[in-house]
Amino acid sequence: MLSKATSQIRGRHFSIGMAMCALVAQVGWASSAWSDMAPYPKMAPLAEYLSADPASEIALARSAAPAVISDKAEILVLGAHGYETVVKGTNGFVCYVGRSWEADLDHPEFWNPKIRAPTCANAAAVRSHMPYYKELTQWVLAGVSQDEMIARTKAEIAVGKIKAPEPGAMALMLSKDQYVGDNQGGPSGGQFYPHVMFWGPPGPASDWGANLKGSPILSQPSDIMPLTMYYIPIRKWSDGSLYPYPAPSQPEPTQ
Amino acid sequence: MYRASPFIIVTLSLAVVSPARADGGRPLYPDRAPIAEYLSNDRDAEIAFARSGVPASMADKVGVLVLGAHGYETAAKGTNGFVCYVARSWDADIDDPEFWNPKVRGPMCLNPVAVRWYLPYYLQRTQWVLSGVSRSEMIKRTKAEIVAKQITAPPAGAMCYMLSRQGYLSDQGLGPHGWHPLVVFWNVPGVGTQWGADVVGSPVLSAPSDLMPFTVFFVPVRAWSDGTLDEYVQPSQASDIN
Repeated sequence: MLSKATSQIRGRHFSIGMAMCALVAQVGWASSAWSDMAPYPKMAPLAEYLSADPASEIALARSAAPAVISDKAEILVLGAHGYETVVKGTNGFVCYVGRSWEADLDHPEFWNPKIRAPTCANAAAVRSHMPYYKELTQWVLAGVSQDEMIARTKAEIAVGKIKAPEPGAMALMLSKDQYVGDNQGGPSGGQFYPHVMFWGPPGPASDWGANLKGSPILSQPSDIMPLTMYYIPIRKWSDGSLYPYPAPSQPEPTQ
Repeated sequence: MYRASPFIIVTLSLAVVSPARADGGRPLYPDRAPIAEYLSNDRDAEIAFARSGVPASMADKVGVLVLGAHGYETAAKGTNGFVCYVARSWDADIDDPEFWNPKVRGPMCLNPVAVRWYLPYYLQRTQWVLSGVSRSEMIKRTKAEIVAKQITAPPAGAMCYMLSRQGYLSDQGLGPHGWHPLVVFWNVPGVGTQWGADVVGSPVLSAPSDLMPFTVFFVPVRAWSDGTLDEYVQPSQASDIN
């Protein structure tokens, strides 16, 4: 029994480490070390990134937040010409299904066509993040190279077009159907924890006490974008079910 | 009543009506208790208690303040920019019914941004308390400081940890540990809905203020600072909204 529990704890360590890799999918963080082992060296056929069924993409986008929020949110759906608003919202939130290019510009899964990251961003995050993400999507659809995307991004930062995020920019990522990276967890293999995500001001993870043993916050500073991303795993998915964390009697190893 | 303290969230989350009143409607804590009741008689215990606001991996690197008869004093200098202290009841709303509850002990660990922005105001309020300033006068002084921009809206990234299992945040606390382990954020003024807070299924709770220029947001997390998991119940049994 003890051995099994220990094994599970070790497994959790591994899972969290892998999840950190996946979570940079939200960051725009560069890691040249990963480029050498990229399993997705180039863009797949566009159709692989699109949903065959807009209705299912709408439902997937809404699943990022509890229904009481996502039912009133604006919904974006990715089409062949970019993200389009298919439902107008009334509460300032925008829900969409993020694709792999929301990752680091040189992330090894930058072109992973399986990535589906349902996200409901609040108004501050919509203002801070969505213009860049929509533009990035346009670059992808137009066939711009990753190197060129980096160059353009840096140029936009230099002229102040891309700025540090607004205070309070945050999003909910509570979908049980998320696929945020290969070799993660859950039935699909791509499932991380339900989590609340913040776009913070640029700075080290230590600014929020993140990434330390026992800290409830994970973070990923960016070496390109003027921001640091923070993630707080929480206990429930948007459908109200609990994430199967270890029993209360089991100390959490990391996180 | 303005709502700006992490403590008030306890009553918000439980939708408790008429807290801190004895039978007959008399306030339980109408006045400040003798100062000794707010103080710890064991300095080392208070230091350890303050440190329990964060995980052990951080606790030995934080600065620590301890409340004495003349205010908070630095008991340990930190190296990571965080400052931990055991907040007392006057960190609550100035007209909160438990504003003078001497049992309240809330270990809080502020990050460097919050230390620069929020801690000076709390330390000043503590001085007001210790020198016998009335609550109505505190409100008046606070409003004047806001007008004079001595108290400002929070800068980006102001947050703190409240992960101690031993905290006592309110008489209306839930379960053996008062409430849940929390990560707390101060954000610009506004309604809780800006973070999708306070609705069924949301993982975020909020406490807007009609006095202070900020809204406090709370994210309950699953583990206490000692690594044990909070005793959350299955959704079908849950009484809290998040």
